[in-house]
Amino acid sequence: MAATKQQGQGFERTPKGKRRMRFLRRRDSLSFGEKLSRLATRLREKEWQRYGATLFAGKIAGVGVTLLIMAAVGSLFFAKVYAADTVMKAADVVNPVNTAWTLIAAFLVFGMQVGFTMLEAGFCRSRETVNVLMECIVDTCLCGLLFYAIGFAFMFSHGNGFIGYHWFFLQNTPETYESTGVAFLAVWIFQFAFADTCSTITSGAMIGRTGFVGDLLYSAGVSGFIYPIIGHWAWGPDGFLATMGSAGFFLPKLGQSFHDFAGSTVVHTIGGFIALAGSIVLGPRLGRKFKRDGGAPMLPHDLTIAASGGLILWFGWYGFNPGSTLSAMDFAGIGRVSANTTLAACAAGLTAMMYAWFSTKKWDIGFTVNGFLAGLVAITCPCYWVSPTGSILLGGVAGVVVCAGVELLEWLRIDDPIGAVPVHGMCGIWGTLSLGLFACGKYGATGPTGPDNSAPLAGLFYHGGWTLLKAQCIGSFIVTTCTFAVGLALMYVVHLTGTLRVSAEGELYGLDLHEHGISAYPEYVISSLAAPHGTPKDLTVQPMAESAVQSISAMSFAKE
Amino acid sequence: MRKIEAIIRPSRFDAVKDALTAIGIDGMTVSEVRGHGRQKGHTEAFRGREYEVELLPKIKLEVVLDDNQFERAIDAIQEAAYTGKIGDGKIFYYNVDGALRIRNREVDAAAL
Repeated sequence: MAATKQQGQGFERTPKGKRRMRFLRRRDSLSFGEKLSRLATRLREKEWQRYGATLFAGKIAGVGVTLLIMAAVGSLFFAKVYAADTVMKAADVVNPVNTAWTLIAAFLVFGMQVGFTMLEAGFCRSRETVNVLMECIVDTCLCGLLFYAIGFAFMFSHGNGFIGYHWFFLQNTPETYESTGVAFLAVWIFQFAFADTCSTITSGAMIGRTGFVGDLLYSAGVSGFIYPIIGHWAWGPDGFLATMGSAGFFLPKLGQSFHDFAGSTVVHTIGGFIALAGSIVLGPRLGRKFKRDGGAPMLPHDLTIAASGGLILWFGWYGFNPGSTLSAMDFAGIGRVSANTTLAACAAGLTAMMYAWFSTKKWDIGFTVNGFLAGLVAITCPCYWVSPTGSILLGGVAGVVVCAGVELLEWLRIDDPIGAVPVHGMCGIWGTLSLGLFACGKYGATGPTGPDNSAPLAGLFYHGGWTLLKAQCIGSFIVTTCTFAVGLALMYVVHLTGTLRVSAEGELYGLDLHEHGISAYPEYVISSLAAPHGTPKDLTVQPMAESAVQSISAMSFAKE
Repeated sequence: MRKIEAIIRPSRFDAVKDALTAIGIDGMTVSEVRGHGRQKGHTEAFRGREYEVELLPKIKLEVVLDDNQFERAIDAIQEAAYTGKIGDGKIFYYNVDGALRIRNREVDAAAL
């Protein structure tokens, strides 16, 4: 009650107080004339002068800071626009867009390393898994440095028809690569990812018995020399297969150059046939019996990882093929290439699955995964120039080629644990030749501002005659035989150093423990209780573990 | 009837199995086990440190057979599992009281 009374009193009082306030203010305030005269007297007093000066300086400083912030923020966030100052050139938009597209593709292609690692790790035996992981990672590191030092120079710089010899260590390079308009280093990282793919393919046929030092040696040979030099023939600015058929160059009478859009031959056949050379020189894994000796391939250890790795490869292929336009301006081209890539993989997966079903009456995962990969390898060369229907047909054939290739290697007693030779080597050849059959006669060349369809490629099935098929056969034959010969030589040289194959003891023990000192799946209890060297013995006894054991045994007694 | 329990090297398992099949022994039970005898483990490495792992992977092979096959089986296993180095493993054997086939209640030798 008291509170409400007080409130009531306060409420009554307020208007009075207000009135008093107003009254006081009115008495206190001066008229404008009075203020002026007061100012005049104050300006003459020293103290008031100082006060006024301080006040004025403060205001000036405040305004100055505000202007400064406006200037700073304005230049950060808003572009200065000058009317009709510079004219925007097409290249100012086209080159950055194409560079961005090339980089996205490069990152996707690099992602294929994950796929390869998983595919190989899944298809190997558990005791060599760490070895596979290490090989894939170290191949990548090695390839990066080599491609910086010599690889890109050998492959993509000007020189003669056989080898490029400028831009070593990426010195004296132009801002953009050739006529593509794409930033030079963006092209470099894109092509590095391709080179890395090639060297990883090689390791696939050699897992389970290759020593780690031997792996380092041949990898350096593959990604530093074989891939860049042979690749120069087809992809270099003046490679003799790239310029083949024009006057003054290789086979001028043919009138057609060798075409490989994204690398069925350059990446996959080269990788696949060095792999073949490697597995021939190495010989089969100990205890591997072949079909005609009453045996079969050794079983893989993790099909979940292998199948997922295959699908990641498929995903990465969307950088590999469409990215090879190096041009997002050719938007119809990259759309077509993406669709063709997909369709060929789908068809090949199904034909390989059916092939396996007819031979074992089972729906086989190994053949299906290698099947769609085979389709992807095959479409890599012709993807730009064929129609979706053509892609399905040539992909479907690839699915059969890969299965037949596996059977052929088995019959030849060549041990290829993950099928790198049939998938990449043989389907690479098939894909390259298939361009000569299926090129649909509508599409010519891609370019930085759009396609140039003035000279379209037509294959045998599209009234193009034999010329393109001949050119493809010549190119594929030269690359395949040279790669295989050089690959054999490289592997024999590494074999002579004694590092290519591990000792029989190490191989039977498992490469993981022998070469790397750890298995991929260390036993939970047994290994986790292991103490590092140099730990005093009494520290290795874990009081937690002991008390846990006691409580568990106490529980079981209680139950009884 | 005798039971043979052989602890052998994983890398010799195929050879042992083939040797037993060759002398007409069809049934066996195999497990992947860990253990050690006098050999005392091996060294593993992780992040630059070495670890002593005392228990090694081995294969344990169990076969129950008729007395007349026993000697030959022991010899076959010993020869096939032999490398001459420490860690080749051991063979244990016991007398078996009886056997019964679950499917049709056949007993002893007929159940093998």
